Amino acid sequence: MAKNPNKIKEGSVIADVIFYILAIFFAFITLYPMYYVLILSLSDPNAAASMRVFLWPKGFYIGGYKNIITDRNLWLSYRNTIFYALASCGLMLITTTMCAYPLTSKALRGRKFLTFFLLIPMYFNGGIIPSFLLIQKLGFYDTPWAIILPGSVSIWYIILVRSYFRTIGESLREAAMIDGASHYRIYANLFIPNSKAIIAVIALYTIIGQWNSWFQALIYLPNTYWQPLQLYLRRLLILQNSSLESVMNLSAEALEEMAKEQLSNNQLKYTVIFISTLPMLVTYPFFQKYFVKGVMLGSLKE
Amino acid sequence: MKKEAVPAAGPVTGGPGEMKLYSKRTRVIRENIELWSFVIPAAALIILFNYAPMYGIIIAFQNYFPGSPFLGEKTQWVGLKHFIDFINSIYFKRIMTNSIRLSLLNLLFGFWLPIVFALILNEIRSLRFKKFVQTASYLPHFISTVVVAGMAISFCQPTGLINLLLGAFGVAPQSWLDMPSKFPMIYTIINVWKSFGFNSILYFSTLSAIDPSLYESARIDGANRWQQCWHITLPGLKSIIAIQFILALGGILATNSDLVILIYNPATYETADVIGSYTYRIGIQNGKYSYTTAVGLFMSIVGFTLTFIANKFSNWLTGFGLW
Repeated sequence: MAKNPNKIKEGSVIADVIFYILAIFFAFITLYPMYYVLILSLSDPNAAASMRVFLWPKGFYIGGYKNIITDRNLWLSYRNTIFYALASCGLMLITTTMCAYPLTSKALRGRKFLTFFLLIPMYFNGGIIPSFLLIQKLGFYDTPWAIILPGSVSIWYIILVRSYFRTIGESLREAAMIDGASHYRIYANLFIPNSKAIIAVIALYTIIGQWNSWFQALIYLPNTYWQPLQLYLRRLLILQNSSLESVMNLSAEALEEMAKEQLSNNQLKYTVIFISTLPMLVTYPFFQKYFVKGVMLGSLKE
Repeated sequence: MKKEAVPAAGPVTGGPGEMKLYSKRTRVIRENIELWSFVIPAAALIILFNYAPMYGIIIAFQNYFPGSPFLGEKTQWVGLKHFIDFINSIYFKRIMTNSIRLSLLNLLFGFWLPIVFALILNEIRSLRFKKFVQTASYLPHFISTVVVAGMAISFCQPTGLINLLLGAFGVAPQSWLDMPSKFPMIYTIINVWKSFGFNSILYFSTLSAIDPSLYESARIDGANRWQQCWHITLPGLKSIIAIQFILALGGILATNSDLVILIYNPATYETADVIGSYTYRIGIQNGKYSYTTAVGLFMSIVGFTLTFIANKFSNWLTGFGLW
């Protein structure tokens, strides 16, 4: 993508300037809200409260960070998220690469049935309540299994891996089979070592997916002990908001008081947003190209 | 699972009549047992978490009590009662209207933006700058919905960034997320902000696949930038745009309820409630299991029908589709 030869080489300078301005505008729109969060979290609380922080931090204050990083629940939820992400990622790689392998073999009988079996859940599902009842019946409710196991298989990723495996080629496999290699061996010694790119894509998709997921945990994990980072964030960022009804009956002074509280509260929020997103921001430049690759693979038409 | 390698092809050394180690039939069966054993881990999870809940759908036609079996002596069958209740309630119309409104707004603002963005960046000469803007634009896609919603909520507060900026134009501070009339717009802005960059990847890759010699010859013929864009670039994107648009129409009821659940509140239910948020509230929070299952089933049938029609249409029009 970087080496797109189609950029147009002639044209007026004014058009160039306009395109650059537009591009800068897009970059600004995407980055500024996040930058704002960062500078506000670092500003002196009084400066932040005066609402004059726009371009760079006013004063310097890490008290917010000190407050947050001493919160045991943050680290507990961090630990849970890392655990879920790694466990799901490991299982996901096993299930998807294994299931994709026979789909690329000519010798497979019943391929139609298997394809159908994989296709149906992409369009139909039992819905939220039957899944909820199932998790309860299995005894997974309020345990990490409720998060890890359903997140350890993805039909969509199976299809992605299958497309990639196809590029490795049937001829290579046939040669190996004539040499007497079993399918297990071909899978482990031929397909897996040649699929590093797709394995990276699936691993990252799964890790990021688990890192950002919260709705499953909201339904299945009632206790803080097993809750992931996103639910911790939800408690702090979303639930601590007073809605309109509660505000309407307050006096002017109470409102002023509330506004102040809201501001210091906001600073805390910005701090926790930054802490929870930091791992993503730091690793993002390295992993984003794999996601782009994944999108392209996904759009490949058979 | 057997570890021993099976010579699948057998030691076939000569022409017909040579003795084979296994008959062809046995060979095929053995190889297939081996191949199907690869499917076991994925299939087990898919049966458990995708197919088993489908069986649970039968409670949509009962008055199900938590803890009782799906099919027992005491099962009360109620037929389509829950479906009819839902269709006659105010929620049916509300949810339909809200889903369609949010999806249409999302299409109206979110659909062309990735295309225009890709076209603009395509005109940027500095590769490094282009790469930077591109990479920056994907970033919101990776930030969790909870964080994005949290940012939106605090920006929309009376003391938040939005009111600070609008205050410069003399607009009085508002609690934007408590206003039902503003919810669809705010939802759309957040959604578009989060997705336009990532959605443009498809267009970038299509753009870079256009044959450069087309531009070359257009320039020789004296075509300027706009003419090249109009006669080469846009036609090159035509089919992908058509597919994306049709598929987006098919998914019109599939609103992103994650974001809705995070940013709505009782004050905005009337314009914010969509299928996912409604089933979560009445099902998980209020415990109306049978009714919720019926609602979910009904809406997924309607949604599937739309997707199906859209896909058929896309196949017919462009030759491409989901399947």
